This record gives sequence, C-alpha cells and structure tokens, in this order.
Amino acid sequence: MGKEKKVLSGEKFVFSNDSQKIEILEAAFDYRGDVTLELVQGQTIEGYLFNRQLTEAPFFVEMLVPGEESARRIPIEQICAVTFSGKDPADGKSYEAWKAKKEKERREEAKKIESEMKQAGLLD
Amino acid sequence: MVPLSQVWTVASYVIGKKLKGVKRYPLVLMLEPLFRCNLACAGCGKIQYPDHILNRRLTPEQCWAAAEECGAPIVSIAGGEPLVHKEIDRIVEGLIRMKRYVYLCSNALLLKKRLDLFKPSKYLTFSIHLDGLKEEHDESVCREGVYETAVEGIKEAVKRGFRVTINSTLFDGANPERVRAFFDEAMRLGIEGIMVSPGYSYQKAPDQEHFLQRNKTRELFKQILKDRKKSWKFNLSPLFLEFLQGNIEYDCTPWGNPTYNVFGWQKPCYLLQDGYAKTFKELIESTPWEKYGFRSGNPKCANCMVHSGYEATAVNDTFGSWRGFAKTVKATLSL
Repeated sequence: MGKEKKVLSGEKFVFSNDSQKIEILEAAFDYRGDVTLELVQGQTIEGYLFNRQLTEAPFFVEMLVPGEESARRIPIEQICAVTFSGKDPADGKSYEAWKAKKEKERREEAKKIESEMKQAGLLD
Repeated sequence: MVPLSQVWTVASYVIGKKLKGVKRYPLVLMLEPLFRCNLACAGCGKIQYPDHILNRRLTPEQCWAAAEECGAPIVSIAGGEPLVHKEIDRIVEGLIRMKRYVYLCSNALLLKKRLDLFKPSKYLTFSIHLDGLKEEHDESVCREGVYETAVEGIKEAVKRGFRVTINSTLFDGANPERVRAFFDEAMRLGIEGIMVSPGYSYQKAPDQEHFLQRNKTRELFKQILKDRKKSWKFNLSPLFLEFLQGNIEYDCTPWGNPTYNVFGWQKPCYLLQDGYAKTFKELIESTPWEKYGFRSGNPKCANCMVHSGYEATAVNDTFGSWRGFAKTVKATLSL
C-alpha cells in the first residue's frame, strides 16, 4: 500500500490478491475512523473496525456498527473492498502538532472544545 | 498512607498465586467504561474515535463481570473521563461490594459536582490527573484553568474524608526542579500519595534515539528523586521508583494490568492495541506475551517504562521472594 495512515481518509481499495487484502485490513484495524466494507454479495457495512484475526484461521474482522449493540464478525473471504470512509479523529492531534501551533490557534481550539463539551453536557 | 488492609490484600493475593504456581495473573484491572472525555489533551491516544464509539458505555453489570472474571484485587477506572458516565456511582458501589480497591481516575472537572454520589471508604480512592504545577498542567491538558478546578476538587474530596491521590505523567523536557516543587505543592493538598510515571513515547524503530530516551527517563527520575523529601509519599511500589531511576532492571508484565473496555479485553496492554479477546481467559491464553516488553525487542516497547507495565513487575518482585521483599524494605528505609 505504501501510504501513511493520515492520507487514507476517503481512499478505496479493491483487493487484487490475498496479501494486499491482509495489508489493507491491517491498515483498517489501525485506522481511528470508520471504514466501509464491501462484501462479495454486494452488501456494504460501515463501522469501526476494532479487531482482526488475519494470520490464523478462522480469518475475520470485527466491527462496531452505529446503532447496533453487539459487534459484527465478518469472515475475510466475504470482503472484496475497503473504503476509509470516516474522518480519522487522530489525524493532526499529536502533541507535536499541538506544540507547533501558534498560541492564538491553541487558545481558539481549546475554547472551541470547551464550548462543545459544555453543549454536550459534559462540563458545568 | 495506603491502608494496611490494602497492602495485606495485595501481598496475600500475590503470594497465593505464587504458591499455586500461576505464572500470569492480574494485579490491577484497567477498566475503561467509556472513551468520552471532557478534555481533549493533545496526543492522548484514548479518545480519538468516531462519535458512535465515544457514545458507547460499559454497563455496571459488564464492569462487575470483568472484575469478577479477572479477579484482580485492584480496579483502576480510567477512560475517557469516568465521571461523565451516568452510572459511575453504581459501578463503583458494586466493585466496593466485591471488596475491590477502586482507583477512580479523573481530571476532576466534575469532581465537586459528583462527589455527593460517593461515600468515603477505604476501598475508594480518587486518583486525580495532575501533570505538574498550574503552568505545566494546563499546558499538558490544553486548557486554562483546569489545574485550579482540579485542586478545588481535591481539597473538597480530602475535606470530606475521601482517599485522594494524584497521577502524573512526565514527558520529555520536564524540569526536575519544577516537578519537585509540584510534589511539595501536591502533598500540601493533603493527598495520600503521588503516582508518577513517564509518558509513553511511541517510536517506530529501536535506534540510538530510543536508548537515549530510556536513559533520559532514568536521568530525569534520578534528578527528581535525589534527596527525596520525607514529606513526599508515593502510591507506588518502592521498587518501581528504583526501576525508574535505573537502579533495577525489569521487564514488562503486561498481563499484570489487563485492560477491559467497550471493545473487550485489550491485547496486550493498556497502551498497545493489538486486538481484543472476548474473555479474560482468552486474553491470557491467546496473547503472544513473548512478543512484548523491552526484552522482546518489539520497537513499540523499546521506550516504555510506564507504571501499567512495570508496577506489576515490581510488586511481583516484592512479594515473589524473600530477596525481593528485602530489596523493597531496603528501598523503603533509604527514603
């Protein structure tokens, strides 16, 4: 694949062979946003891929799908493509990135987050 | 001081496991009932998830079942911010009923408001996140005024008779003199003790820089802990503090602090996410433990000296043999 995690957002990969499939599913596991899986039967599933077993049988990935309580386990032979459909919430959030910002930008970002937290009822 | 009953519970638990020949056992369950937080600290690896994941919660029943399943005598409730969880009081109450020593980790932004939900108990400790004096802490959590709110919360909790500790993460560039001043200040708040740990720096290759990083950590802690003041109390194993200063060499025991959250049992540890197990038994039996820890050569573990990996090693050393116990006594008396 040869791409950094930060540029995966919006990318779609249709598998051409098994090793590519494993590499991309591994990247999907590392990714902090939602992904969309395309299944061979034509169905698509979008959610957060939080677990995978790619090196020993049974081969599968596990996803949490919005609105569903339990995780879905999907055998990897059923998956033919992956789209990194959700925004990666970790992108640009490193401590280094924060330090590199100007003081004014940092203050504005902190205020924005504080106000969002208050609106969400997470702060007094 | 840590109550004697807690020391006795941990000691008898570890000795019991040793006598039964159990090789891997949990000491502290790291319970993350949610990932949602009311801070957004730069670089925090725990809260960057899509909203539908941040909105998920473990139920009290799931939390109690995890504690029951793994059997660890201590439960550290982390997250996310646990006080955001609407049933946090029920979770804590149930764990106390199970006679687990609960450390409720919080940034304290909601502490004063939520304090009425809890009753003081030897089983409950509020472990408040403070990374330094006002300037350093507010910088670390990316928001002005958090230090002052946390200090108010600590004072109120101490006044009402709760056990309170602080947990501090120190990063590269920490000023030893400022950290020492911070310890003085923290102890003046009337807390029971300080938990301190180096931050986890995730690097990709074990190059020279890594070793410098590890050495830097040791140098930093040597400077902080030299001529240690009698007034400083640590809520940590004395041998872990020796390890941080480079006086003892340990390897990580990630199974000592297993993590349970909305995804299940996290492999292999609190910091690395290499997959999830459905049960604690599956976690212990299916994780390739030999691939993790400093001695494994895993680059992700090269710099890690974090308490969630090494505190259990230190406790295991203390209660695992007379020699380990003697080392601990010596380290304690040398304070």
